[in-house]
Amino acid sequence: MKAKKLAELALLTAAALIIFVVELQIPYPFPIPGIKTGFANIITVYAVYHFRAHEVAMIAAVRILLGAVFTGNFMALIYSAAGTLLCLLGMIPLKMLIDEKHIWMTSVIGAVLHNTGQMAAALLLMQTPQLLLYYPFLLVSGCLAGAFTGLCAQYITKRLLKYRKVKR
Amino acid sequence: MKYKIIGGIIAAVFLIGVVGSVLVLTSKPKNTVRIVSDGRTLYTIDLSTAEDETFTVGYGGHENIVEIRDGRIRVADADCPDKTCVRMGWLSNASMPIVCLPHHLVIEFTDDDGDVDALTS
Repeated sequence: MKAKKLAELALLTAAALIIFVVELQIPYPFPIPGIKTGFANIITVYAVYHFRAHEVAMIAAVRILLGAVFTGNFMALIYSAAGTLLCLLGMIPLKMLIDEKHIWMTSVIGAVLHNTGQMAAALLLMQTPQLLLYYPFLLVSGCLAGAFTGLCAQYITKRLLKYRKVKR
Repeated sequence: MKYKIIGGIIAAVFLIGVVGSVLVLTSKPKNTVRIVSDGRTLYTIDLSTAEDETFTVGYGGHENIVEIRDGRIRVADADCPDKTCVRMGWLSNASMPIVCLPHHLVIEFTDDDGDVDALTS
């Protein structure tokens, strides 16, 4: 791996982690497990469109692992790992279908898949089918959160494109 | 064209979510409550006859403190990092159980009127 690529990936991972830690401080009014904006996914969505699949997977894996280390919540690690896995499996093929101008669509689908993965992991772990009753709420929050992070990623892409032109 | 289709799918998912949420939110509470830890039912409690009490449910060295007061039930405190279960407050909705994901704990309303005595483990 080239040093430049390594530095870029490390930078994105660090940015994602910072966003993740800052987001932990935001209190959410909805007391439902699994509902949050997931600001750190701005980085994931951006990375999906600018790096190759295994590089995105590396960013996401390190982010999740270090995130669990920082919070000390290793149970949450299982849920976020399951969610992120499904999310990436959906978003990486989708970038062939959806161009960067419609990145928010990819993001929404990714967010919904993320919540689906979390739900599947929770169902498997807890063996409590009643958990499925949370799923409608997760769908709604996934759509909204995904659209928001997707729009953020879209703006970031615009800014970075400008910066890249100047650099050359 | 393809973006219209994808947009339509997204709108459909969103609407399903909204309708499902409304259905879940409008269901009425019941009397019997079940406390499930790691898939096993620990207690079945009839809230209409239960006395006020506070007890601890342990899971792998961690614990949730469950409180019953005035015919209602909630998680009063927990040593999990996120405390989502505590913030959910009193159990008020038949289809929305109180869940503590880190400790595999679920408190929910149930139809089962088998053991309606105060506490059965």
